[in-house]
Amino acid sequence: MSAFVESIDRARQAIAAHRPDVPSGPLATRLEALRADGFAGFEAQGLPTRRDERWKGTNVSKIADLAFERVGVSDDVGNALANDPRVAAFEPDVLFVDGRMVQASAARTDLPEGIRILSLAEAATEIPDVVAAELGGLADAKVDPFVALSDALFEDAAVVVLAAKAHPARPLRLLSVTSASGNASAHFSRLLFVAGESSQGLVAFESMSAGDGPGFTSLVSEFRLATDAKIVSVELQTEAADRVHVSQTFAALERDASFASTVVSLSEGLVRSEISVTMQAEGGSTWLNGFFLGRGDAHHDHFTTVDHAAPHCTSDEEYRGVLTDDAEGVFRGRVIVRPDAQKTDARQSNPNLLLSEGASIDTKPQLEIYADDVKASHGSTIGQLDDDALFFLRARGIDEETARLLLTRAFAQKIVDGLFEPGIRALVSERVDDALARLEERSP
Amino acid sequence: MSEAPLVSIKNLHANASDTPILQGIDLELRAGEVHAIMGPNGSGKSTLSNVLVGKPGYEVTQGEIRFRGEDLSEMDPEIRARAGVFLAFQYPVEIPGVANNYFLRTAVNAVREHRGEEELDAIDFLTLLKEKMKLVEMPEDMMSRAINEGFSGGEKKRNEILQMLLLEPSFCILDETDSGLDIDALRIVANGVNQMRSSDRAMLVITHYQRLLDYIVPDHVHVLSGGRIVKSGDKSLALELEEKGYGWIEGIEEEGAAS
Repeated sequence: MSAFVESIDRARQAIAAHRPDVPSGPLATRLEALRADGFAGFEAQGLPTRRDERWKGTNVSKIADLAFERVGVSDDVGNALANDPRVAAFEPDVLFVDGRMVQASAARTDLPEGIRILSLAEAATEIPDVVAAELGGLADAKVDPFVALSDALFEDAAVVVLAAKAHPARPLRLLSVTSASGNASAHFSRLLFVAGESSQGLVAFESMSAGDGPGFTSLVSEFRLATDAKIVSVELQTEAADRVHVSQTFAALERDASFASTVVSLSEGLVRSEISVTMQAEGGSTWLNGFFLGRGDAHHDHFTTVDHAAPHCTSDEEYRGVLTDDAEGVFRGRVIVRPDAQKTDARQSNPNLLLSEGASIDTKPQLEIYADDVKASHGSTIGQLDDDALFFLRARGIDEETARLLLTRAFAQKIVDGLFEPGIRALVSERVDDALARLEERSP
Repeated sequence: MSEAPLVSIKNLHANASDTPILQGIDLELRAGEVHAIMGPNGSGKSTLSNVLVGKPGYEVTQGEIRFRGEDLSEMDPEIRARAGVFLAFQYPVEIPGVANNYFLRTAVNAVREHRGEEELDAIDFLTLLKEKMKLVEMPEDMMSRAINEGFSGGEKKRNEILQMLLLEPSFCILDETDSGLDIDALRIVANGVNQMRSSDRAMLVITHYQRLLDYIVPDHVHVLSGGRIVKSGDKSLALELEEKGYGWIEGIEEEGAAS
């Protein structure tokens, strides 16, 4: 048995004792089943191996060898972190500390009209049936061991509900912080986002570390978009070097709904970031944008799936990768066009910059097209910084190091430019700048 | 008046991608002077400009380039730029993702730091930028756009001259700045260049056609052919060349080779 699985077994009891109480009713019943099925699902599947086609690019033993000592956190740590300047600057609507939701409900009275943000306990009294029906509806524990693990071990979930036609004026900000506790921790955050008919909204979710220290971070997000809902999701991954971060996002779109996701991954550890979008009715649109920056020994594995299950849907995907030092990148872009999905328009691209000899990228589009009236394009490139551009900047007095940084930043800019909400755009810009500044520090 | 030349090029031989192009160029520019270099395609005009600013891939194999008495050939391009050497590129590069104004401020402050001047903050820089933009008739919205991205040929050349106006170099090299310009753009660009003419600055205007020299009137004209300067004279040489064509130069070269 691997160190990771042993840790789970040890933690199992502690986790059960740690969970917030959920009043009995349909949701409590659902949670019980979800957890039991989660354990069963994980036991049946175990950790993936490299023989698993979906995990070919990532050395899973880095996860298997990870022994964590604790799950969850005391409220004291959570409250202390809520006052941490970096956390306060984020102005979270929801704060998870080590997987525990520590933001008090009282702090959310200023929410824009048409939005509700609930913990599981709150949802159990307010909208138990909706949440019981949707939670775990898209993330399937039977086919994915990390979803199974999340189902088995998550303490609480942020439930976000957008009323029909709601169009809040400001974005929602959700934050997961890994506390600096000294010992290895595993934690499991969860988001359920239910967007009503013709609603529009933006949600930003960052997973960050408050300090160094090994461990495992899981985030499972489920987005359920009703007819004509238009949702923007921005995810920032900024965990520390020793952490393994598995983020799994699932979205299902009804007729004319659109889902625009931007993932900005600046983690220095191992990241496995999955997005799986199903357009299950006509007229759906999906945008998947991503920027990842790996340095040191970072490993970034971005695995995306767009399922065109209905006709007249479009998808447009662009992930941009920058890798330096000995960092490794993996990009898999799966696009499935079902037999009925005529008039599909699917585009995908994955340009990459390799800034050092030791850096590598493994990129592969996977197009599975079963319809015949389809427009589909894809392209991956791997390159270095443009010599002419570099020389131009130097010829204007800018030193080579700064010129390289400017051009690397420029490469990321296209993804940042895709973010229209000024506050979130500024936040992402700042994170990218910080990560690039660290790149400069290390260079000789 | 035996003042030392600002730029002194002696017996310069240089390769472009390992191919010998420049075959022994001698040229001196004093502060205040404008020199024009004319020559047919393939004569080495662009190689000369690239060698002067230290573009990778261009190598000095013999001879020397001195700027204010210092050997340029060992200096990195950014050091030359900060010291006051500037090339207005024939084909300005587009750099998506880097905003023009941000780039210009970074460049201006790099040069100011080298001169021991204080960095300009965003407000002071903007004031300076607006003043210089007027000289090349550039609309303000071009500044927030990426460097040269989507610019027309004329806008790119005006952007080059704007950079020159901001960085205030003492040795300005203009590499076929007139190529691809209509008559209005040519007038604007030449006007910008003429603003820069001063007694402490030298200019090297490289061009294929005489037309530009109606606007930027040179003190000296040199004809480059086969990697060497084969004839020098005053501005009337440019007119003579225009009239007789570059075939005339080939004749001179053969004469030179025969004697």
